[in-house]
Amino acid sequence: MIKTPVTELIGIEHPVFQGGMAWISDAVLAAAVSNAGGLGIIASGNATAQYVSEQIKKAKTLTAKPFGVNIMLTSPHAEAVAQVVAEEAVSVVTTGAGNPAKFMKLWAGAGVKVIPVVASTALAKLAQRNGAAAVIAEGCESGGHIGELTTMALVPQVCDVVSIPVIAAGGIADGRGVAAAFMLGASGVQAGTRFLVAKECGVHRNYKDKIIAAKDIDTIATGKRLGHPVRSLKTAFSREYYAKEISGSVADEDLEEFGIGALRLAAVEGDVKKGCFPAGQISGLVTKEQSAKEIVEELVAGAEAVLGVATRYCV
Amino acid sequence: MLETITKALRDYKDDQELAVTEQTTFEELELDSLDVVELAMKLEEELSVTIEMSDDIKSVGDLLRVLQAA
Repeated sequence: MIKTPVTELIGIEHPVFQGGMAWISDAVLAAAVSNAGGLGIIASGNATAQYVSEQIKKAKTLTAKPFGVNIMLTSPHAEAVAQVVAEEAVSVVTTGAGNPAKFMKLWAGAGVKVIPVVASTALAKLAQRNGAAAVIAEGCESGGHIGELTTMALVPQVCDVVSIPVIAAGGIADGRGVAAAFMLGASGVQAGTRFLVAKECGVHRNYKDKIIAAKDIDTIATGKRLGHPVRSLKTAFSREYYAKEISGSVADEDLEEFGIGALRLAAVEGDVKKGCFPAGQISGLVTKEQSAKEIVEELVAGAEAVLGVATRYCV
Repeated sequence: MLETITKALRDYKDDQELAVTEQTTFEELELDSLDVVELAMKLEEELSVTIEMSDDIKSVGDLLRVLQAA
């Protein structure tokens, strides 16, 4: 067993969060992870408040354990989803793509613990000042929307400027990654790509197969020109997007337009040509489909094994 | 106050010739949202104030107004 301030804070058995992946992390996956002792997280992405409300209600029928909801603050439905999270008194809300300050009072009143995803020390300090219970320091090894700093560089620097627990994310898919995160000062981890291939994850079969087949150099970061870079698998779509991005002849609006709907095409339709398949750099370590329980247990057991011999080079 | 922001921006961008007006947007200065938070927190420290940070702070004028209101 690994007990940390994060397991105490949320009331979970293992300090392992499943990342909120838009179009992918639904009630079934979140509940499976929570039942396994981690923290499952439903992703709201750009979904409507009604969809999120239904998913929360469904998760409550599948698990009695704490689970979370991830809100992408740039979503046109963010305000309504924030309200649903408060009404349903969800245990944890994680936020991405912005500053959740305006919702903090609402969530605090409902007893919701707020854990923003941060990509810099300034954002971490701001989150703590605004009443966050913890922060997720996410490095650019992760899939989906990314910042500039790597997990290795970001996590210790964030740990140095806040007194609330830090959860490390980005590039973590096995026990070694979990143990390394603890060495950097984190007291919990969040993994996305590893849980994407969980048996309980309803994402399209093609998406899982692509992750399982991926090697270390099979992801690419695109979209930096538009100010919101995304890491995804190298596919016909991402290569074409990248070519357009570095081409001086494609306007920003056209580039934006080209990317619309590509994530849904990947996650729901499994369209290997036109889809965008967000995935972390650690995809090469993800080699088989397992149950959420097996994944959580492997992450924890692996970390225990590594931490057990952590002093072997100390003389 | 605008002078203080201008100085902070010039230091941040390491460009003492940087032209700054209230209308200048952070996008024009090639600063992203992380830069704006970093800059705003530096100014908070310097001016000993606490501002209401928001994603609506898009221009130097926006930042000036929230700092004046603090």
